[in-house]
Amino acid sequence: MSFTKEDVEQLSAALREPRWVLERRLDAWKIVEDSELPHGKIEAWRYTDFRRLKFSLDPFRLAAPQETTEITEVQETLVKEEGERGGYVVQRDADVVHQELSPDLAAQGVILMSLDKAVVEHEEIVQEHLFTQTKPDDHLFAALHCSLFSGGTFLYVPKGVSVSVPIESQRWIDEGGTGIFPHSLIVVEEGAELTYFERFQSIPIPNDSISNGAVEVVAGPRSHVGFVALQEYGGRVWNFQRIDMSAARDAVIRSLIVTLGGRFSRQEVRTAMRGEGVDCEMLGLYFAEKGQHFDFRTFQDHIGPRCRSDLLYKGALKDDSRTVYSGMIRVEPHAEGTDAYQTNRNLVLSDHAKADSKPELEILNNDVKCSHGASVGQMNEEEIFYLMTRGIERPQAERLIVNGFFEEVVGRVRQDEIRQVLSDAIEHKLTGRWHSAGEEGA
Amino acid sequence: MPDPILVIEDLHVEVEGKPILRGIDLKISPGEIHAIMGPNGSGKSTLANALMGRPGYEVTKGRVLYKDEDVSSLSTDERARKGMFLAFQYPTEVPGVSVVNFLRTAYNAVHEDNKLGPLEFRKYLQEKMDLLEVGDEMVNRYVNTGFSGGERKKAEVLQMAVLDPQMSILDETDTGLDIDALKEVSEGVVKVHDSNRGMLVITHYQRLLNYVEPHFVHVLIGGRIVRSGGKDLALELEAKGYDQFRTELGIPEGEELSDQAG
Repeated sequence: MSFTKEDVEQLSAALREPRWVLERRLDAWKIVEDSELPHGKIEAWRYTDFRRLKFSLDPFRLAAPQETTEITEVQETLVKEEGERGGYVVQRDADVVHQELSPDLAAQGVILMSLDKAVVEHEEIVQEHLFTQTKPDDHLFAALHCSLFSGGTFLYVPKGVSVSVPIESQRWIDEGGTGIFPHSLIVVEEGAELTYFERFQSIPIPNDSISNGAVEVVAGPRSHVGFVALQEYGGRVWNFQRIDMSAARDAVIRSLIVTLGGRFSRQEVRTAMRGEGVDCEMLGLYFAEKGQHFDFRTFQDHIGPRCRSDLLYKGALKDDSRTVYSGMIRVEPHAEGTDAYQTNRNLVLSDHAKADSKPELEILNNDVKCSHGASVGQMNEEEIFYLMTRGIERPQAERLIVNGFFEEVVGRVRQDEIRQVLSDAIEHKLTGRWHSAGEEGA
Repeated sequence: MPDPILVIEDLHVEVEGKPILRGIDLKISPGEIHAIMGPNGSGKSTLANALMGRPGYEVTKGRVLYKDEDVSSLSTDERARKGMFLAFQYPTEVPGVSVVNFLRTAYNAVHEDNKLGPLEFRKYLQEKMDLLEVGDEMVNRYVNTGFSGGERKKAEVLQMAVLDPQMSILDETDTGLDIDALKEVSEGVVKVHDSNRGMLVITHYQRLLNYVEPHFVHVLIGGRIVRSGGKDLALELEAKGYDQFRTELGIPEGEELSDQAG
């Protein structure tokens, strides 16, 4: 592996961050040193064999923060072509290059900036929450992330403040051969409302890069929090991401993970329902083709009583792609009155593609309603024929059917401006405009 | 006499290696409505599917000419873009795809030289909806998903009106309709038909033909047209039943095909 303890120390020094941050990085680095690259004998990585994928951590160097990077701050109306936003953070490689927040929201006490900057400017609140949800000790990639995070987003919504338009972070990979480690810390206080949208993109790069990010969401009592991730990396990016959400009493918490890009993508999404009466929705949507390998793990963690969680992950696969879904519903001893649902559906469009689906339940309380279901099916030829009798060519008929298959998920997105971005991204992928590593140039 | 729209010549069709249609000849000219009547298993639905080029329906002999062009080897979507249309006996559900989105995609595929944007199309669709007395509610739902029998057939007629085909094949459109729905759907079919178009109405029962009055009636038994006549033939058939009719014509029982051959 090319990443070193010196990388950690130099990064921390370059960011001029407080001592406690370096200490957390170094604690995580100890775990890195004791970890090995996950392999098939570990249950959590059973379907993702890095040897077969020809992946190692050797070729990547740390995308280091640039001393000269200036963050552009724009304080004007935030209306972009893709729809209105309450604020933006744009990260290119290791650095946040742009951040802006609507003056209205700033006046109400909302904070939005790079995490690098927030550890200095809002030290107390960052220290209180950072790495309370994402832990370095799960596996090598989590530990690496906690050692090497940079750039990132800190977003704070004070008690009772309602952010009515989405706030967005964009992560761009501009340089090949690097590793980036963006971390988002989202704190939403009691009774506040927020929709937060993260996009991951790369320009065509000549060699492989790794993106190892995490999102921590801390949702206070009675808050309403929506999180949407859209991953559209090119075919040379190996994507690792954790999304760790925590919900307090009576919070409404929703997540949607849309995964279209990357040579490889492993995403772990966990919602810990810590208080009573949490209402949780977890959605996922993926379309894999041209040798892509996607691996999703979800965790519906029912800790408090009378919480409800509803999970739906739907994916389509083409060519020789491979997807894995494994989902855990855990009902802890005090979680009486739990309602938990989990569904994973896969539409396989090629004989060479393979989808695995593995639900798991761990129920430590008797007073629960739980169900899970998984399916792997093929395109319905009756539907294709029907559409073709109306003059629609087969490829377009297939796209309509795949779009229809995704609609059950996309249709649940409440914000028009986000739904439109997602539909466009899906259309882009379905019309064959995504480039695999081989097509991206050697 | 204008050129015929559809000419079927000595059409033989096999499904899974089994001969179903054994020499069909038919000529449909502009303005004409032809009815094909036959018992279960006579090959009615096979004819409908074969005319649209459904995979698995193999033409082993003969051909189909649409406006003088042999379409026998064209794919289903190519035939549709030329102006052929099939209203299904059992319209297929397409979950997650709204009727309005589906129809605009289909319209723009068929009318490649005159594509309509979402707003223009919605206006055009509204005209057709008004003509057929179809409400907004139906076009915003997913294609045939959760539709009643009557709604499905109404939606088929709406599609026919929107796509504006010159040759329509209606496969047992009366299936699953009560008397009121039958009347409503039939009236829609009549509104869409005019002197430029040909129509082939396939049915088991005579009742649809009370509303959609055919110029010619053909009786299909055992994969062949055994008799052709005017509208009265349908009434005669209804009065006698297929069994007696078969006996009169001296067709042995062995000529019957299995139900599933449709």
